[in-house]
Amino acid sequence: MSWYENAAAPWVPVSRRLITARLVPAGIVFGLLVLASLVVALATGEPWFLLGSIAILAIGAWVAWVIVRQVGAHAWAEGEDDLLVRKGRMFRSVTVVPYGRMQFVDVKAGPLDRALGIATVQLHTASPGTDASIAGVPAEEAARLRDRLTTRGEARLAGL
Amino acid sequence: MSVDGSVYRAPREWTRLHPVSPLLGGWAVLGLIFAYLIHQRLPDWVAGDEGGWDFLDQFPLVGLAIAAALGFAATLAISVWQWRRTEFRIGDDAVYLRRGIVTQQQRQARLDRLQAVDVVQPLLARLFGFAALSVQVAGGEGSGIELKFLRLGDAEALRNEILYLAAGLKEGDQEPPAPADGGDDAGVAGASSFRDLAADRARAFERPEDVLSGRERVRTAVAAAEEREVYRVPLGRLVLSTLFSGPAIFVLLAPLTGLLATVFLKVDVLGGLLAAIGTSLFAIIGALGALLGFFWTRINGGFGFTAALSADGLRLRHGLMETRRQTVPPGRVQAIRLHQPPLWRGQDWWRITLNVAGYGATDEAVSVLHPVATREEALTAVWLVLPDLGEPDPYGTLGFALHGTGSEGGFLTSPERARRLDPLQWRFRGVRATERALLIRRGRWSRELVIVPHERTQSLGLTQGPVRRSLRLANVEVHSTAGPVTPVAAHLDLDDAIALLDAQATRAREGRRRQTPEQWMTAVGLAPASPEGDPHG
Repeated sequence: MSWYENAAAPWVPVSRRLITARLVPAGIVFGLLVLASLVVALATGEPWFLLGSIAILAIGAWVAWVIVRQVGAHAWAEGEDDLLVRKGRMFRSVTVVPYGRMQFVDVKAGPLDRALGIATVQLHTASPGTDASIAGVPAEEAARLRDRLTTRGEARLAGL
Repeated sequence: MSVDGSVYRAPREWTRLHPVSPLLGGWAVLGLIFAYLIHQRLPDWVAGDEGGWDFLDQFPLVGLAIAAALGFAATLAISVWQWRRTEFRIGDDAVYLRRGIVTQQQRQARLDRLQAVDVVQPLLARLFGFAALSVQVAGGEGSGIELKFLRLGDAEALRNEILYLAAGLKEGDQEPPAPADGGDDAGVAGASSFRDLAADRARAFERPEDVLSGRERVRTAVAAAEEREVYRVPLGRLVLSTLFSGPAIFVLLAPLTGLLATVFLKVDVLGGLLAAIGTSLFAIIGALGALLGFFWTRINGGFGFTAALSADGLRLRHGLMETRRQTVPPGRVQAIRLHQPPLWRGQDWWRITLNVAGYGATDEAVSVLHPVATREEALTAVWLVLPDLGEPDPYGTLGFALHGTGSEGGFLTSPERARRLDPLQWRFRGVRATERALLIRRGRWSRELVIVPHERTQSLGLTQGPVRRSLRLANVEVHSTAGPVTPVAAHLDLDDAIALLDAQATRAREGRRRQTPEQWMTAVGLAPASPEGDPHG
């Protein structure tokens, strides 16, 4: 086994629109940085400042590649008793959250997320260590997922 | 129950805290800060070399005294005002608190979410026979309720009643008869209780050592569940263990390395050291201060540590400046950590800390189960929290967990290739699941054992970074509530880790099915203790 295979339920990949949602802010940051370095290069007239711009561009491209791969690895699965969240490619993790341990569910969507029609669903348990947020869930699916999780949580609710 | 006028009832109507509260509360701290500032600044004023304070010289001493008195009066007035606006009551399912001068705040602590109830007595309050009651519930930072201050007996009675209700006992016969006089009239109630108080204090100081050590016994309207003392930490051992704990090693090592370096490398360490001391005296004083602070915290928190077992759960009692009587109902302990610093190995001492949902990670002294346990006491302490480890031979298993290496005792260990990542500890890492709990062991010189009951598992995680992936290793994390214990089984073989994750998910599911109910007295076979007040002593 190379990594956690989930036999209980199929992995549901997150929406590819999450790539856009993450690329846009990163693009803005790196665009501004490149612009700044170009301005510096033009103002000083030192050609080797252009090397800095190229380096920033290269890092930006790598970040874009990481984003694409991360989104590809991000998925969730609704098992019989637990919700599973898988994320990360280089630093990868699988989180198993029993429905009965859920304290509350958050659905969040920023302006860009709303424009793209996606949302982040986050589960909270009594533990601060639980990192169970699912980014890039299609908006209407997010609402359904939240309701399903809440229903299951109530059915299996255990104390702390 | 014979109720004479002075026996306390837990208020079902909105009630203020004791009128003496503003005098014991925060303004004393402000006064101390003020005094400290004066003390700090006095030499500068005398020398007159601190420019920023020159303007004070323009005022005569009388003016300063008047300003101080006004400041004092203002803080006191605000405290009194706050006290007037703070009210609490208890209901069958919650404790309610409302307070606030400008913005009103209402808070309820649901009893079915109760995690712990502490009676806290700072030194001043202890001398005068008062206590704060702190009710911890599950539900994030600052969701608990703190009632500052009540008379000690009232606080204990309130605690007992809260525990009684939270345990799921609701018989009406236990409820005290309705009050005849309105408790709202603070002036009258205060006057009569002040007289009581004086008599009460006089009685209490017939045994001053009990008052000072926070073991004072009081009459309560609702008796505490009977308790049996399990262990008590001798002061000598506490002091010795603090001297031999981790930070002390640094103090010991610093001159030693200097000496060795001078002898073997013929380096002028002394000259260098003197120069360093000369330049960074301030930093060194700070470090020493921190060290003393550490010693103080350990001794202050562990002073007179006593653990007892009662039907209401675990009772812990400790503290020098501030005594704390904690009650943690059954099934509220989320995880335990037994830790042994290197210098404790000779004596085989262990420090035991725990996660309880309400306590959070803020104050480590609150989350101690045993400040320094001998091996036998450590096993007893584990038994206190986990009476059934789910093992035919729990002590043997714990022995392997505390001192074992490799896979003896059925422990799952890190594979040898973990050596490259973790050369010192890999042989000492081990994980083992019993019927009821997961044991995670690690550490070569500084040893650690973490125990998480299966039914207390919040969620599980499997993580792997690039280095571990190249070695086919992974970590399994068991997410527990906020606190000093973070259980992680590190550097397992990937297949083992995946199998462990699946097995733990199943075990946690089964654990949740058979866990004790939140209202612990409703469990089968537990008859309620007599609710009637049987005064102590």
